[in-house]
Amino acid sequence: MLKKLLKNEIYATGRILLPIYGITLILSLVNRILIDINRHNAILNIIGSIMMFSYVTAIIATIIVTFILIILRFYRNLMTDEGYLMFTLPVKPLQLINSKLISSILWFIVSIIVTISSLIILLLNAERAGLIREGWNLIFGTFKEYFGDNYYLLIFEAVLASIISVIQQILLIYASIAVGHLFTGHKVLGAFASYIAISIAAQIFTSIVMVIIAYFPGSTVEELETQFETLPHMVMLLIIGLGVLFSAAYYITTNYIFSKKLNLE
Amino acid sequence: MQWDLNSEKPVYLQLVEQIQAGIISGKYRPGDKLPSVREMAAQAMVNPNTMQRAMSELERDGLVYANRTAGRFITSDEELIRQLKKRYITRIISEFLEKMEQLGLNHDEIVSLIDEVSENKGV
Amino acid sequence: MSAILECRSLTKKFGSVTALNNINLTLERGKIVGLLGPNGSGKTTLIKLINGLLVPTSGTLYVAGMAPGVESKKIVSYLPERTYLPDWLKVSQAIEFFRDFYEDFDPNKAYDMLRRLNLDPDRRLKTLSKGTKEKIQLILVMSRNADLYCLDEPIGGVDPAARDYILNTIISNYNDNATIIISTHLISDIENILDEAIFIKDGNLYLHSSVDDIREKEGKSIDSLFREVFRC
Repeated sequence: MLKKLLKNEIYATGRILLPIYGITLILSLVNRILIDINRHNAILNIIGSIMMFSYVTAIIATIIVTFILIILRFYRNLMTDEGYLMFTLPVKPLQLINSKLISSILWFIVSIIVTISSLIILLLNAERAGLIREGWNLIFGTFKEYFGDNYYLLIFEAVLASIISVIQQILLIYASIAVGHLFTGHKVLGAFASYIAISIAAQIFTSIVMVIIAYFPGSTVEELETQFETLPHMVMLLIIGLGVLFSAAYYITTNYIFSKKLNLE
Repeated sequence: MQWDLNSEKPVYLQLVEQIQAGIISGKYRPGDKLPSVREMAAQAMVNPNTMQRAMSELERDGLVYANRTAGRFITSDEELIRQLKKRYITRIISEFLEKMEQLGLNHDEIVSLIDEVSENKGV
Repeated sequence: MSAILECRSLTKKFGSVTALNNINLTLERGKIVGLLGPNGSGKTTLIKLINGLLVPTSGTLYVAGMAPGVESKKIVSYLPERTYLPDWLKVSQAIEFFRDFYEDFDPNKAYDMLRRLNLDPDRRLKTLSKGTKEKIQLILVMSRNADLYCLDEPIGGVDPAARDYILNTIISNYNDNATIIISTHLISDIENILDEAIFIKDGNLYLHSSVDDIREKEGKSIDSLFREVFRC
């Protein structure tokens, strides 16, 4: 069932996103060509400017539309009339949530790939590639210096933390929509209010955790300095841990509301 | 087959009556094959259960019989149909005569009025 | 277990408002049942409870012996009062969607009914009139071989010819293992196809009886009785 939901989800969202991504990539190619052509011609200059403007618009659209669609799709498909269709399918509410979460993560990653690819298409040449390679080596060298030979573990943790952070943000949006749904008559307003309220609550919780850790034995400045190598890892693990905790809380809240408190208008 | 159903009387009774009327008037001829219960129900816009009930009544009266493989048929028993027709006509005439009595007419007056009206109608 | 629906002391409250109060109801298979009552009487609440779109405040509800959930949704086919299909879908895609998610869906039946309506399956729903969209939803719902059909106001706001078409579709797809619940306030149009009638008044079960019994005992049509019972 989940596969079917996922297939439906990706089709429904892809039909809007893929054209935008496609246009972005094409425009980056067009602009690349226009830049490489010698522009002595006034007309070409004007076209070039228009194309560049279009390209910038497309890149912005790629990022913004992906973001908005993640939110809008969830709301429209589950909380409006379409919800009557989705919630009477022989599937569990958590399968509905999962399909949308996976689809959102997928499109998020794709949108980043598209953006980076389009920049590469637009800007990459041998000279710049060389610069990038140099910069890359410089960064990694510095990492190795500061964080020891296990620096790649830290990078892995950072990537993991980023991914969990994205998941957490998406789930926060979903949970806000679900909580907003409980306010009869003002569901959209409720969603916005919930988003703010939950975010604040999460901040407060995080601060409390930080304070508790600060009083934990073994975390005075001197003791920390002796554990210099492990400190970044511990910070990363903390971020990851909190991310997982919040993500789980948001997920459970959303699932609970869909299972027990659903009230479609 | 035009069905004229009101909502005051149980539907199955009305269906029975209208099929009987159809048999009497010759719309349903002896031995005619009837459509399936579902088709007839859809035509009459009634519940198939109701049409089934009407069919059962008619089967009990012998006006309709069911052949397990071939379907339902109007009876070929002409005598039975004649009796049905006679009962039906008798009832109409009784009702008519009652009404005429209420209007104060005697037998001869009724007969001559019938002749007069028939002539005008060209019956 | 032959009863397709069983409600025991079923109650649903929204805050301080009681939408359904202590409903005790049993429906057998093979019946076409009218769920009748004015707007706001609790009909839609009951249907939503059957479909798992609402959770009871107290009491129990069983569909074929199961509480509403994934398994019950496999055997209940629901036609809500609104268009619930995404507008951008093509008719053929809607059929594929139902085929995907419902094992008991018969696409041949659906295409057959579409053909008789002269509808091109390649058309997008947003290009169709409201009446046509409603017919398509009905076709999708009735093309399932479900055990319980819940039709919420299937003939409201629709022209008389379409109404006949809808009633005809309902009658033709009737099978005596399944029960069809028709919730409506347009009673005279559907009286003749009902086996049983349920009157819901202010969230309470006022009456549940066979239509023939009502006509024989009260000597009047369901529509007349309704007007009496729900006189303003």
